[in-house]
Amino acid sequence: MRKVLMGNHAVSYAVRLARADVVAAYPITPQTQIVEMLSEFCAEGSLDASFIKVESEHSAMAACIGAASAGARAFTATSSHGLLLMHEMLHWAAGARLPIVLVNVNRAVGPGWNVWTEQTDSLAQRDTGLIQIYCESNQEALDSVLQAFRLAETVRLPVMVVLDAFILSHTEEPVDVPSQEEVDAFLARYEPAWRLDPADPRAFNMLVPPEHYMELRLLIQKAMDDALHVAAEVDAEYGRHFGRSYGLVEAYRLDDAELALVTAGASSGTARVVIDELREQGVPAGLLRLRLFRPFPAEPVSHLLAGVRKVGVIDRNISFGQGGIFAAELKAALYHQPQRPQVFDFVAGLGGRDITPATVRGIVGYLLEHDAPPTGPLWWEVKA
Amino acid sequence: MSYAIPERELLHPGHVACPGCGAAIAMRLALKALGDDLVVIIVASCWSIIAGPFPYSSLQVPTLHSAFETGGSAASGVKAALRRRGRPDTTVMAWAGDGGTFDIGFQALSGAVERNEDFIYVCYDNEAYMNTGIQRSSATPLGAWTTTTPVASPKDTPKKDMVAIMAAHGIPYTATASIGYPEDLVRKLQKAASIRGSKFIHILSPCPSGWKSEPEETVKIARLAVQSRIFPLYEVERGERYTVTVRPPAVPVIEYLRRQGRFNHLSVAQIEAIQANADRAWERLLERAESGA
Amino acid sequence: MKSAPSRPAVGEPIVFRRLDDLPPLPVSLAPTLANKTGTWRYLRPFYEEKTSPCNHACPAGSDIVHWIRALRDGELEAAWRTLIAENPLPGVCGRVCPHPCEAHCNRNAFGGAIAIHALERYLADEAAAHGWRPARLAAGHGRRVAVVGAGPAGLACAYHLARLGHVVTVHEAEAEPGGLLRHAIPPYRLPRNVLDWEVSNIEALGVRFVLGSRLGDNLSPDELRGVDAIFLAPGQGRSRPLGVPGEEAAGVVSGLGFLKRVARGERVDVGRQVLVVGGGNTAIDAARTAIRLGAQVTVVYRRSASQMPAIAEEVEAARAEGVEFRFLAAPVAVLLDGGRVRGLRCQGMRLGEPDASGRERPVPVPGAEFEVPADTVIAAVGQELDERTFEGMDLRPEAGRIRIDEGAATALGGVFAGGDAATGEGTVAQAIGSGKRAALAIDRWLRTGRVEGLPPLGVAPHAIERTASPRVVGPEDLNADYIEAVPRPALAERPVELRRSGFEEVNLGIPAEVALAEAARCISCGVCTGCDTCYIFCPDVSVARAGPCRYTINYDYCKGCGICVHECPRCAMSVKEEEGQ
Repeated sequence: MRKVLMGNHAVSYAVRLARADVVAAYPITPQTQIVEMLSEFCAEGSLDASFIKVESEHSAMAACIGAASAGARAFTATSSHGLLLMHEMLHWAAGARLPIVLVNVNRAVGPGWNVWTEQTDSLAQRDTGLIQIYCESNQEALDSVLQAFRLAETVRLPVMVVLDAFILSHTEEPVDVPSQEEVDAFLARYEPAWRLDPADPRAFNMLVPPEHYMELRLLIQKAMDDALHVAAEVDAEYGRHFGRSYGLVEAYRLDDAELALVTAGASSGTARVVIDELREQGVPAGLLRLRLFRPFPAEPVSHLLAGVRKVGVIDRNISFGQGGIFAAELKAALYHQPQRPQVFDFVAGLGGRDITPATVRGIVGYLLEHDAPPTGPLWWEVKA
Repeated sequence: MSYAIPERELLHPGHVACPGCGAAIAMRLALKALGDDLVVIIVASCWSIIAGPFPYSSLQVPTLHSAFETGGSAASGVKAALRRRGRPDTTVMAWAGDGGTFDIGFQALSGAVERNEDFIYVCYDNEAYMNTGIQRSSATPLGAWTTTTPVASPKDTPKKDMVAIMAAHGIPYTATASIGYPEDLVRKLQKAASIRGSKFIHILSPCPSGWKSEPEETVKIARLAVQSRIFPLYEVERGERYTVTVRPPAVPVIEYLRRQGRFNHLSVAQIEAIQANADRAWERLLERAESGA
Repeated sequence: MKSAPSRPAVGEPIVFRRLDDLPPLPVSLAPTLANKTGTWRYLRPFYEEKTSPCNHACPAGSDIVHWIRALRDGELEAAWRTLIAENPLPGVCGRVCPHPCEAHCNRNAFGGAIAIHALERYLADEAAAHGWRPARLAAGHGRRVAVVGAGPAGLACAYHLARLGHVVTVHEAEAEPGGLLRHAIPPYRLPRNVLDWEVSNIEALGVRFVLGSRLGDNLSPDELRGVDAIFLAPGQGRSRPLGVPGEEAAGVVSGLGFLKRVARGERVDVGRQVLVVGGGNTAIDAARTAIRLGAQVTVVYRRSASQMPAIAEEVEAARAEGVEFRFLAAPVAVLLDGGRVRGLRCQGMRLGEPDASGRERPVPVPGAEFEVPADTVIAAVGQELDERTFEGMDLRPEAGRIRIDEGAATALGGVFAGGDAATGEGTVAQAIGSGKRAALAIDRWLRTGRVEGLPPLGVAPHAIERTASPRVVGPEDLNADYIEAVPRPALAERPVELRRSGFEEVNLGIPAEVALAEAARCISCGVCTGCDTCYIFCPDVSVARAGPCRYTINYDYCKGCGICVHECPRCAMSVKEEEGQ
């Protein structure tokens, strides 16, 4: 059924369709509408779940960890400071191998206070062991949440689905909401091999001495490795069920491109418009949209960019003292390629500053004019 | 069998508590009280270690180790999941030290009991961060030595009144308990398990390593804490009805203090002040108990 | 996806050889039993029974703490059997013993001593009511032993010898066995059926009594020579004289003689005023007996009230029954009227320096003489050995006693001795202990030719070997936190007004529920009661029950914290350093 939904509500519908058992959440702009609608669903009975109205995001994730440990399908949503407060528990969720699904609405981090979009909050969770999926549309947000449960429960790792503040979260788009029967056919009930069960009493997450710790960490790494192809399989199967799939990365007009833009999230749509313009002008430009950030799809990325001379990464995030985070990851992935493109790192649109077609055109102009990037990131459209 | 305490043993030997650990006795009794239809959440504390390293566990009940500040929150999640999985009557017990309760886990605990989550929260209180090497917590009593309140500058504020704070949440059941009075402890845990909603049990657990006491005196010291009115045994129902459950003949606080090296430096005047505080708190408790409010 | 691996054998360490062996998350696969925390231990707690003060104080060597424990558990017959393993006369002792066990009872600090004598009497009466009889411990050896004297020492010796399989003949001078129990202790203290029942228990073991057979009279030493061993316990048959002028007069009688005549059922006319001279149990028995004959009785004693050797409760009962006391008064002459007594002249005394007994010596107060009227004067100033008993035997009593060694042996080979004749005037319990010592000595001598392993004189011997540490548990060894100050029960007595008119038993005993409650009040010093305190407080789950009043410590895991030892309410555990430390 097609509905006009804002991104946040698309997520809420997805969580209801996934038949989450436990939702634990704390309000924060711009995520709040996700859990407001979920609490409406629970109150009206259309979602048969326990909604735990915790007193902080830390507790939200801790409650999800408790719930998932006891065998529940658990969900939470947050943003920015809330995600940062959860940080400790994100490590815990991954180390405990719990398939919790988290939606983060990308929002800049204070101070000063800023509620608008930026990816630094989610990218700062890079090393927690969370799988990260970045969405471009409200439809993709709904679809990604459904895929996330399937992926998480298959590889036993938590998944974070990311969408941009306001640009997706509060913007209404037509969204195809699948039927419950269709979703049930895609996503089975969660039945973990181990859970807190008086019939099979076991302890979880105890002290692990050095003699075993590395092996357990290696197993997380292996699960991440598995997640690369499991995510592709889940996406493909989702496509068979619902007619939509996205890939781990999206290649747009990249086949013969000499110049490529790399984006993630909602700015990809803007970039796609500019790529079309460039192609009309005869410029061999293409777009690579990163959908999966963790595990990093190094193999498809380096394959797709193998013949490109220049890559411009639009990083709506910043790792101070280094630069754009996607760019750094991309460079690491390309390092082993015999033919490496020049990678330009454009830090743009922080704190909700608009990334307009003009912004993207300017970036392409810079790429066309320069053969090699400067040392360090290019802070785009900032006062000198 | 002289103690009205269930037979069933749900703690294995081979755990790694220090010799004479009060917290080990507390856990053993709590498990006996609650039986095996139970899930335990252990947050960062001595018990994170005591329970045993991977791939072993000394607890014979399902146990979730969780982060320091998550006693209230993780237990909320566990209870919600058990309800969803058709086990609404399985008891959930969060098990935390004083640091995890009075300090870092205070917020999550307050949140959980404000929501009246259906679980028992047990604080086994050894009055400092023992697992990290005896640093002061807000449960450390006035005048006590710890590694961060050295003898030249011992703890200069009184212990936080955690039971009063919990009672102020208006939860169905709040109680103090002592390993020196095992039947009272077991009865309170069983009573807690029979009540729906949030229950808070505060167990004083002497720590020979941190209190600088003799391991064999652990139970004796726990009892003296009660006898000296330093740690009275009582319960509060619905935040209002106070009942003193054990009233042993009073002994002076010096009998309690002198067995612990952490109080060695106290002057006579300081000991008198501690006595006066204990007497005043006891009188206040009796007034509350007698007024029934 | 992996499934949960099966658990390894309990207590075995888990070894992961390959990455695939590990579970994908930190989950427990086994209990902590592979971690043997016992290696941490440098102090080893252990169960060590110790000696209770009551056991230590009992001259008869009764295992009081154990029979009370059995009684507490409702095991009445087992309790009685433990009781009679050491003492064949519990019905007697439960009534007449001054119970030093109670004086030493650690309960004195917690509500009052356990009424041990009342419990002993309760068990003995239950045994008689049920008809329980003692059994032999060993098959017959065929060795023959002659016992001279059927007082408590002779009865105890005969009993233990018979239990050990010997053939015993007891020669008793009087017409009935019992010695002073029958002839001196009045029936209001010791009903005769109680004594008869307990003597019949000894007969039931095969002991033969030859009555009216008096050594030095109609029993010649030669008649005894055919046996393998002889035990002499003739008692102290002769009353000490007052040593004052006029004591040969009519109306002056000895305490023992008076009591014996009354006990035999003779009608004894003591007149209206009776004076009893002395402060011992015989004096008090005589006074209370005279009261029952309708007399007004005054006890004259040369020392003070607190110095009286008589059992305090008996003195109190005498007072209650109307006996009056003149303390610090020594007789100096019997006043005569014709050949008959009319009174006693006494010397007023005061207390001076302590004498050899440690008591302050009474010294005369010059000019403080007075007279007391009397129809009868009963002299109860002690008994002594009748040396004629040993005529024809090569035994020379020294200082009024037959000298014996630790093994109860006299200077004559094969001749042993005990009771008052050997130890001087003592209590029934002392006589029982003395007779038991001789029985154990004779048994060992007959079987091995040697007498070894008996305690020094003055320490009670035990028929049943004890494993308890000799360390006596004092009040400071107990954990007072576990001991509630519960008062000693009131013991019922026949009302005074009913007592004075007859010889019915004064003490009424205790009902079953009081006996059980009183047994439960026993702290059981040094002896495990199975109270579970060690078990319940073990932080390391290393104490296990191993039967009634028995626990084991699992040293694989015990860390040696010592809480069990420290908490034990009754000092039934100890701690020692681990070897190799």
